[in-house]
Amino acid sequence: MSRSILPHKHSLHKLLLATFFVGMASIVHADEIPQAQVSLMAGTCANCHGTDGQLAGAIPAIAGRPATVLEAQLLAFKQGLQPNTTVMDRIAKGFTDAELSALADYFANINKD
Amino acid sequence: MSDRKPLFSSSRRQLLKGLGLATLFPAISACTATGTSQASAGRVVVIGGGFGGATAAKYIKRGNPAIDVTLVEPNKTFYTCPFSNLVLAGERTLDSIGHSYDELSQVYGVKVVHALAQDIDPVAKRVSLSDGQTLQYDKLLLSPGIDMRWNAIEGYDEAASALAPHAWKAGPQTLLLRQQLEAMADGDTFIMSVPGNPFRCPPGPYERASLVAHYLKTYKPRSKILILDGKDNFSKQGLFTAGWEAHYGDMIEWVSLSNDGRVVRVDANRKEVETEFGTRHQAAALNVIPPQKAGFIADRAGVTDASGWVPVDPVTFESTQQKDIYVVGDATIASPMPKSGFAANAQGKVAASAIVASFAGISPQDPIWANTCYSLINPDYGISVAAVYRVQENQIISVEGAGGLSASDAPDMIRRSEAAYAVGWYNAISQDTWGTKL
Ligand SMILES: Cc1cc2nc3c(=O)[nH]c(=O)nc-3n(C[C@H](O)[C@H](O)[C@H](O)COP(=O)(O)OP(=O)(O)OC[C@H]3O[C@@H](n4cnc5c(N)ncnc54)[C@H](O)[C@@H]3O)c2cc1C
Repeated sequence: MSRSILPHKHSLHKLLLATFFVGMASIVHADEIPQAQVSLMAGTCANCHGTDGQLAGAIPAIAGRPATVLEAQLLAFKQGLQPNTTVMDRIAKGFTDAELSALADYFANINKD
Repeated sequence: MSDRKPLFSSSRRQLLKGLGLATLFPAISACTATGTSQASAGRVVVIGGGFGGATAAKYIKRGNPAIDVTLVEPNKTFYTCPFSNLVLAGERTLDSIGHSYDELSQVYGVKVVHALAQDIDPVAKRVSLSDGQTLQYDKLLLSPGIDMRWNAIEGYDEAASALAPHAWKAGPQTLLLRQQLEAMADGDTFIMSVPGNPFRCPPGPYERASLVAHYLKTYKPRSKILILDGKDNFSKQGLFTAGWEAHYGDMIEWVSLSNDGRVVRVDANRKEVETEFGTRHQAAALNVIPPQKAGFIADRAGVTDASGWVPVDPVTFESTQQKDIYVVGDATIASPMPKSGFAANAQGKVAASAIVASFAGISPQDPIWANTCYSLINPDYGISVAAVYRVQENQIISVEGAGGLSASDAPDMIRRSEAAYAVGWYNAISQDTWGTKL
């Protein structure tokens, strides 16, 4: 997303923001998010999944898993469909479907060590 | 990528590919893969090898290995505040939370200088170090963490902290407080003084009280913990209070600001504190967490404002007061992001990406961050608070509908999972920041 397209009036700001993010999911497709932005976004995943999502332990590694599996899992977290989730539901809700899909692709394309 | 590979290996290209930057820097990845030396793409000096600085140094090198990166950090081993409360409780050794700079220098080619940065000339773009060296930079990144505001509480200066430790920077202070807890007799009182906002790690004091209670419950069950607070409410309060009741009965007493909780005077020799309205409390072990500010080098660089913290551009984390100086971590004003190791690491990556982009002449990406702060009520009972942040109208905002607290009615199984994930988080962020595989 680019800074310039964000709305400017504060009174409507929350409503517009919500519309913006929801709207974005249907307008912007995963492959339209610049790769540099996806890799920056993916940086935040490394805090729990290790650099490039490769650290396996109590928290599973995510690198090299099929994109369709990762995407389905992320969407299930976001929609609250995954039982016994601790935190990934709370995190996935902050991303658009397109962003989750782009992240799934990104980690699927990293080789497992 | 795997750890401890030599600098020039095929993993380099893999690295760039992983970052999605191979296409941005095709020429660079092609020639560094052969190991030929080449002109530097720019000089970056990073000050502070903690969560923010070590991460930034690594991710600048991942973004473009041709950038010359020097990391200045006085200590050869960095002891993390995260999990230092487990050291206080006797559940971990100090060694187990120590991290070296070997991976940064050996795998990523960061030049690590063990010295203290003493002064900065933002016009000449020079840093002077305690060992007499001067470093020239094109871009400077500061992640100096916090300094204590000595004497903000009467009688609490650096000398007093040798008697009544803050243990709010991990290492010798952690061991000192541990010794005091070990020396307590059954029935003695542990007192903790907690400052008002903002300060490093909002849930940290309450996790500390929990884990000290875990230790006392096992070894000195008649003892008490008194938290004297400069605030009327605190992070994850409902979850902490419920956890305390369930596990520690009435061992922990919390006194809010309104109930005369704010400590204004400390007598470290007598381990005695006095609150705003003149109540005196005597402790067997005394932990004073004083008010804080950005590390002093931020002042020297001219990036702090009147609050003592550093205002930054939320997209790049460049100082709003000095060009080409980027600041991340606890030192910054980045609210609603907390002063956490998780946030410092995440901001380090954002500043690294902005620096790499700036040298390449391209504009920075808008960042999106997540943060999860785990706290342990005991080693098998974890709770968390999470959030997702974006930049909107040049402000960092917490995305509505995302994040929040662990459920208040979660079953024990979920608390156990969160405790296990807290360990998983610790291992992952340590690996991501310093390369330490635990
Ligand atoms: C008890 C406790 C528990 C915590 N638990 C958690 C947790 O569970 N999760 C979490 O996310 N966060 C936690 N935190 C918070 C976390 O420790 C900090 O937010 C984090 O360390 C901030 O990173 P930083 O890079 O800003 O500073 P630091 O990590 O403190 O790094 C600063 C570094 O800069 C160096 N430095 C300073 N000045 C200079 C100079 N002039 N020259 C050279 N080097 C210099 C210092 O030596 C230090 O190594 C906890 C904190 C405490 C106190």
